[in-house]
Amino acid sequence: MNSIRAYRTLLRLFPGDYRAVFEAEMLDAFSRAAEERRKLGRFAVGCFVGSELAGLALNAPLEWIAKATASDSVRARSLPDLRRMRPAGVARSVWFRDAAPSDSAAPDEVADAQRRVALCIQLMEYAIANHDFQGARYYSNEDLKARASLRELKAKYGIAE
Amino acid sequence: MRHVAIRSDEPESKPLTEPVLWILTSLASAPRHGYALLGDIENLSGGRVRLSTGTLYGALRRLLEEQWIERFVQADTSRDKQAYRLTPEGRRQLELEVERMKQLTRAASARLRTKEA
Repeated sequence: MNSIRAYRTLLRLFPGDYRAVFEAEMLDAFSRAAEERRKLGRFAVGCFVGSELAGLALNAPLEWIAKATASDSVRARSLPDLRRMRPAGVARSVWFRDAAPSDSAAPDEVADAQRRVALCIQLMEYAIANHDFQGARYYSNEDLKARASLRELKAKYGIAE
Repeated sequence: MRHVAIRSDEPESKPLTEPVLWILTSLASAPRHGYALLGDIENLSGGRVRLSTGTLYGALRRLLEEQWIERFVQADTSRDKQAYRLTPEGRRQLELEVERMKQLTRAASARLRTKEA
């Protein structure tokens, strides 16, 4: 759907650590709210999508300002520091093997699956860093599912592992 | 020069912004995830306040930083979700704000009565 694509595009304006934690939730909330507005007609959906996109455009610079002005220790209470979360001794190329963006013009489905894997890893690291082991287990399971789904998609489109 | 002493027993809180107040109010009764918060705030305000997702998650990020709320995995019948709940500090801040607003409305009502009399 175009509105979701536009929403996702505008989300890229936000800082990476913010997206790592909130992107999936925001997309979910937006798509469910848009679905609900659809019952009220096209005008209602148009108004809703317009206000949501304007809200994103307005809030993205504020988030960058917040990131620039907050101290790392305070910000780490809400968002993971993506530069520090990879476990010691694990090479970046190995850890982000499936999450790395593909050079080829992969279909959107594959790119989405890759992003999902990356998101699961980041959320799992964040949960571990905050001693939320129940959350870490949950994201570990989600990561396995996301990787399986990515493997299926790669096989479907004939993309090498 | 005028010196102003700050009383150490005074609450250090500033007035809360409207989105923050609605979010804390919504979470006071039960933990909720993002979409449920949007719906509950709209219901609580009688349709007057409709937070955009950008505003909601910006406020949630700030509340997490302040440690007034916390994230946890909510076991749902259909799928697990990240939900938010008030921390004791968040509840205390909400109570302080409610007290501040009560004081303000009492003062305003008293002044209005004086004017009418």
